[in-house]
Amino acid sequence: MNFKLTEEQDLIRKNIREFCVKNVEPIAAEIDEKEAHPADLFKKLAEGGWMGIPIPTQYGGSGADYLTHAIVVEELSRSCSSTGFTVSIHVGIACMLINLLGSEEQKKKYLVPLATGQHLGAFVLTEPGAGTDVMAATTTAAKDGDAYVLNGTKTFISNGPLADTYLVFCWTDKAAGRKGMSSFIIPKGTPGLKPGEHFHKMGLRSSQTSEVVFKDCRVPAANLLGAEGAGMANAGVAFDHGRVGIAAQGVGILQAALDESIRYAKQRVQMGSPIARHQAIAWMIADMATDLQAARFLTYYAAWLKDNKQPFTKEASMAKLFAAEKAMHHTTKAVQIHGGYGYIKGAKVERLMRDAKILEIYEGTSEAQRMVISGNVLR
Amino acid sequence: MPTLIACFKWVVDEAYIRRGAGGTLDFSSVDYKIGEYDRNAIEEAVRLRDAGGGGSVIGLTVGPPESAKGVKDGLSRGMDQAIFVSDASFRDLEPSQTAAILAEVIRTRIPQYDLITCGEGSSDLYAQQVGPRLAERLGIPCVCFVQKLALEVGRLRAERRVEDGVEVVEAPLPALVTVLPDINTPRIPGVKDTLMAGKKPVTTVKKEDLAGGFEAALKTGAMTAASLERAGEKLAADAAGIARFVDALRKSGLIR
Amino acid sequence: MAGIWIVAETREQAFELLGAGCTLAPGMEAALTAVVPKGSAPPGEYIARGADEVLLLAALAPGEPFGAHLPVIEQEAGAGSPDLILFAATARGKESAARLAARLGCGLCSGCTALAFDREARSLRMERLAYGGAAIQKLDALSKPVIVTVPPRSFEAAAAAEGRQGRVRELPAPPPSPVKIVERKPKEKAATDIAEARVIVCAGRGFDRQEDLALARELADALGGELGATRPVTEELHWLPEDLCIGLSGVQVKPELYVGLGVSGQVQHMTGVRGAKVVCAVNRDENAPIFALADFGIVGDLYEVVPKIIEALKT
Repeated sequence: MNFKLTEEQDLIRKNIREFCVKNVEPIAAEIDEKEAHPADLFKKLAEGGWMGIPIPTQYGGSGADYLTHAIVVEELSRSCSSTGFTVSIHVGIACMLINLLGSEEQKKKYLVPLATGQHLGAFVLTEPGAGTDVMAATTTAAKDGDAYVLNGTKTFISNGPLADTYLVFCWTDKAAGRKGMSSFIIPKGTPGLKPGEHFHKMGLRSSQTSEVVFKDCRVPAANLLGAEGAGMANAGVAFDHGRVGIAAQGVGILQAALDESIRYAKQRVQMGSPIARHQAIAWMIADMATDLQAARFLTYYAAWLKDNKQPFTKEASMAKLFAAEKAMHHTTKAVQIHGGYGYIKGAKVERLMRDAKILEIYEGTSEAQRMVISGNVLR
Repeated sequence: MPTLIACFKWVVDEAYIRRGAGGTLDFSSVDYKIGEYDRNAIEEAVRLRDAGGGGSVIGLTVGPPESAKGVKDGLSRGMDQAIFVSDASFRDLEPSQTAAILAEVIRTRIPQYDLITCGEGSSDLYAQQVGPRLAERLGIPCVCFVQKLALEVGRLRAERRVEDGVEVVEAPLPALVTVLPDINTPRIPGVKDTLMAGKKPVTTVKKEDLAGGFEAALKTGAMTAASLERAGEKLAADAAGIARFVDALRKSGLIR
Repeated sequence: MAGIWIVAETREQAFELLGAGCTLAPGMEAALTAVVPKGSAPPGEYIARGADEVLLLAALAPGEPFGAHLPVIEQEAGAGSPDLILFAATARGKESAARLAARLGCGLCSGCTALAFDREARSLRMERLAYGGAAIQKLDALSKPVIVTVPPRSFEAAAAAEGRQGRVRELPAPPPSPVKIVERKPKEKAATDIAEARVIVCAGRGFDRQEDLALARELADALGGELGATRPVTEELHWLPEDLCIGLSGVQVKPELYVGLGVSGQVQHMTGVRGAKVVCAVNRDENAPIFALADFGIVGDLYEVVPKIIEALKT
């Protein structure tokens, strides 16, 4: 077993870290406070080729492996978890779905601008009445000649207000049950597609989240992604890839929490010595470092399986479940270590804790992950 | 179409050095990097090649075998090829040795070149010697501390920073320059640049392939942790604290 | 007889280097030779300050850089065979020292922070900083001569003494240099050079706005000192000009008193302050690294504390 990253992966990690220190760290607190999407930053990310890492070069990507993409999401999340997440969903779901399931024309038309970062993608599945219970969705796409007409409301869509390309999942044949959903590529500006209410969130605030409303939205049949009825299966592919990204996001958050906790504990003096020398604090840090290591290896292993063309659904789910829960647990501990200072706006750990919570909820709640894993293990 | 040589060094990233027991330095968790000033040198050579519409940039580095990763890093920054002079004994060379080795390699393997760029110093030892020493050994003109550089036919024009201002100089090619950090902003290599780096040609030269002894002229006796620590008396911001602060200043006779 | 040579571009440099030479000459039982530009000062001034011999570098044609002297210096050093050659660690000094070291095939200790002669071991002990200021590198010479560059203001200028005798010799003109100066752009002299300041008040990131730096200036005036700044305040925020930036890559200062206001105390900055006699700090973060590196520190908001200090100084 080779546990070492390749030289390329290590150099890429160094480079994205340098990018983060220069371009992400200085604005992270501000874009969180203002709930602002950093358009300039995403332009720079696009210029550096960071928005389509695992996509083949002929479609505008860098032709690297998925583990490299995971490492980049981790490092971005370490500085700003909203930025890491936006890249994760853009690459891991929007780009990967079209790359794996799209026709040649669809790839040329939609994947190239996404992988080069000219366009931003969105994954449109969740509805007000359908979270974990995907089958409870009500958005429909009725066939009409050589087009489909979509009606319904989607919610909690990341990049909802800004995406250029929406990957939308809805019923084409409700009677067919699990084989009755389909997925569509829908460009911004298509009449009948409108971003709706914008949400103000506890954390991940610079990521733009909104409803997306479909009213008689007419989509050509050529925009069907994959076969009609393959929607649920496609969603499964989306989740497998997306979850590795969320796990990487969790690893980045854990690393940031550990960095901050160590720094603070070494400096803060109480009762005559730095609190790092007090066992209670030292043990909190030991647990944090251990869970970070575990989360990292679970995540890298899931990415490695995908890169080696092996099934990775269970492993992606495990990595996401573990990294998410540990990120929440340890960012809470990080605030604890900082004491009062950790509770004040401006402290990085204050933002980390607010950002961590959503990892236990989106892209499949921790409960949903446990269903996937137990379903797999108990077969 | 100029041939440019960019010299660079793979060094310990000082951010990872920790203090060991008893004033020693702990290098056990260190990572490595191409020094910041060397990145400027590489970037300047690449920029001049691209500004001139062609030419080639050859990267040149001396180090132990582990520095191979640094060669890849260098190649990801726009150079066309690299020469890596490698030997296990090259771990702690002092500047006179590095300059001697570089001179020997350039003399024997790069017979035609127009310009050599070096950083103003390496980010580990910052002795600021290798560039000018190399120029002397090769018998070429040397301009140090360059903040702006242009290549004309057969000569260079450079602005170099000295204490009393800036000297604008000209020198015939081939020549060597050492560059300041503000000469350019080194690129952050993109993913493709890093992936392509491994495909560019690298010539590895062994110590046995070179003529010369490369003896050291200086020996490092010890490398210990520098300490800036002082008395460290901390006072509160109340009337008593401020009075004590001002009193201490007055007693030391330092102020009116 | 052993020989210590100093090579200087200016009179002030020469006086400092002679000061360094004078501390070493007795132990090394060495004669001191000053290699200086003709016309920089009457040779008698160098002899009065310890030079046993003064070698005058020929006046250069316009456009010839200081480095043009190298072939002549090399020739003289080859003949004179000194044990130690000192240069100032200025841009020209560092370049010349390295080029001379290559020509003579000898060792060079750059930016030497401590220089002493060990009489028992009969060798020169040299120290310098490495790894961005985190380490002290101790060096031993394996060659003769050894060349050393010395940061400006590391040594006291030698004092003039009455009645000293010495020889003076004019050196031949050097061949033309391939490098030619085509234009000089002198630096607008800043009102003061903080490297020379006796008292420095340094403004750091703790200031909220550029206008608030007036408070730092007020304290500097009250203390009879100059204003300095950290790298974020100069190179990132551009609130003050870069020549006021104190630090490893900025100015190294050696004031009698340094007061850091809202300065956190990062190594890169504090290495530039290590020469200060007394270091004081005001910072509202009790865990700021500067407090361990200062002699006196006040934990408090500089906006409240500094006016009180100024008030107290008036009484």
